[in-house]
Amino acid sequence: MNLLIVDSMTWTITILGWFIVFVALVFLIAVFNTIPKILNWDTKRILRKKRGVEKGTIKNEDLIISGETNAAIAMALSMYFNELHDEESNVITIKEVKRRYSPWSSKVYGFNNVNFPR
Amino acid sequence: MKRIITLFGVFSVLLSLQFIGGGFEAHAAEAGVVDQFLNNANNGLDTFWKFTGFYNLMQSPSNLIMIAVGLFFIFLAIKYDYEPLLLVPIGTGVILGNIPFAEGYQIGLYEEGSVLNYLYFGVQQGVYPPLIFLGIGAMTDFSSLISNPKLMILGAAAQVGIFATFFGASALGFTPQEAGAIGIIGGADGPTAIFLSSKLAPTLMGAIAIAAYSYMALVPVIQPPIMRLIIPKRERLIKMKPPRAVSKTEKIMFPIIGLLLTTFISPSALPLLGMLFFGNLLKESGVTERLADTARNSMINIVTILLGITVGASTQADYFLTTDSLKIFGLGAVSFMVATAGGLLFARLMNVFLKGDKKINPLIGAAGVSAVPDSARVVQHEGLKNDPNNHLLMHAMAPNVSGVIGSAVAAGILLSFLL
Repeated sequence: MNLLIVDSMTWTITILGWFIVFVALVFLIAVFNTIPKILNWDTKRILRKKRGVEKGTIKNEDLIISGETNAAIAMALSMYFNELHDEESNVITIKEVKRRYSPWSSKVYGFNNVNFPR
Repeated sequence: MKRIITLFGVFSVLLSLQFIGGGFEAHAAEAGVVDQFLNNANNGLDTFWKFTGFYNLMQSPSNLIMIAVGLFFIFLAIKYDYEPLLLVPIGTGVILGNIPFAEGYQIGLYEEGSVLNYLYFGVQQGVYPPLIFLGIGAMTDFSSLISNPKLMILGAAAQVGIFATFFGASALGFTPQEAGAIGIIGGADGPTAIFLSSKLAPTLMGAIAIAAYSYMALVPVIQPPIMRLIIPKRERLIKMKPPRAVSKTEKIMFPIIGLLLTTFISPSALPLLGMLFFGNLLKESGVTERLADTARNSMINIVTILLGITVGASTQADYFLTTDSLKIFGLGAVSFMVATAGGLLFARLMNVFLKGDKKINPLIGAAGVSAVPDSARVVQHEGLKNDPNNHLLMHAMAPNVSGVIGSAVAAGILLSFLL
């Protein structure tokens, strides 16, 4: 059967084909909208347990952190860790200087070893 | 002096030995052979002349046109930087494939047993496109798509170009299989176009591949006017909120779930989608960095060279310079425009249902055609033209990569309908 300029098969493939592409991607959208909710479920549970937050008060949007926020946190952590020093004893000491024997200032060598006439 | 004379004497005796025992008669006969020798030399030269490209060019002067096309591709790639990684191998391939030669000596691409024919096997049997998809998967970051999955729908909307071209090609009198292969040009995806045309219409593959790659290279020329025509200035200024950070678990789950879902819906696209998601899993798993590195560098480069040169060489003038090729080029241009317009219009339609800061900048709809990453780059460029602080690249990558998935699914659907 010819509908307009092409046969019915062409119409079928055109419409159905595009529709299936849509369905496939809508299906993917549905799945990827659900996955964060499932992953956040455990985080919510931990928050409720540790911080005593009441059920229903945490929204999924609250758990979403934007890339900018992440970058700011990472920057702050990096700066904090860079400024840290090694742990020290807090005892300030002055090292005692030990002079070793040095012949150049020896008194012995300063004498003139001459025999006085008697 | 005496010694020299003795030596000379010995040499002359040795030389005269050849004339002993009928040697004189043979020498006399040789004088008559000179003519024959000259004849043979003439024949040899004639045979050599018939083997040269100059002689064969007289038999098929149309090859010169294709050589000019090849040179033009190389010029475009080097001078204007239009997809040089594709146009240089394809342009050189076009020149290679159109050097006139004497047939029957296993030289040409279409002659069984020739070197080029062996390399062409990968194109004919659709081996190269999935390998390219493996590399694309290993180099693509899907996080913008995962963070805002609704943008995936734009990738589906832009596939209208494929089906509109399929319809148009059918109306122009192509067989359904040929129309399907031509339609995939609208997907703006070279490997997918080659994969589908190698299965559905091998005879048109050269024209389809050249059309697909040429228009992909011309995305920065084709898309901006359509964007300005369809999207009003006010909507081009919309700023989108930054995408959320995506966890590693989500990134790993994406290729696995994507693979399962899309291939269950369209198993015919298994070689393409399977490799795409496999490549992405190699990248995101974090434990196969060496494999991912090979897939996205060495391997994709090798396959691109082989694919480019053989697709270019497949455009021998006798097969390529036909009215069908002209029609294919015309349909290809229309399909690109329809695909771009489809994405843009759907983005505007989406905005009707979205509220507040969830509204999207409709320009990103143009990135739904899967010319990765050129169309996303064009969107970024257009966005910056209207507002120098509006960076749309990350947002545009979402419909862009979903366009790759969408066009592969569409190819699978056309295969299952038409094969």
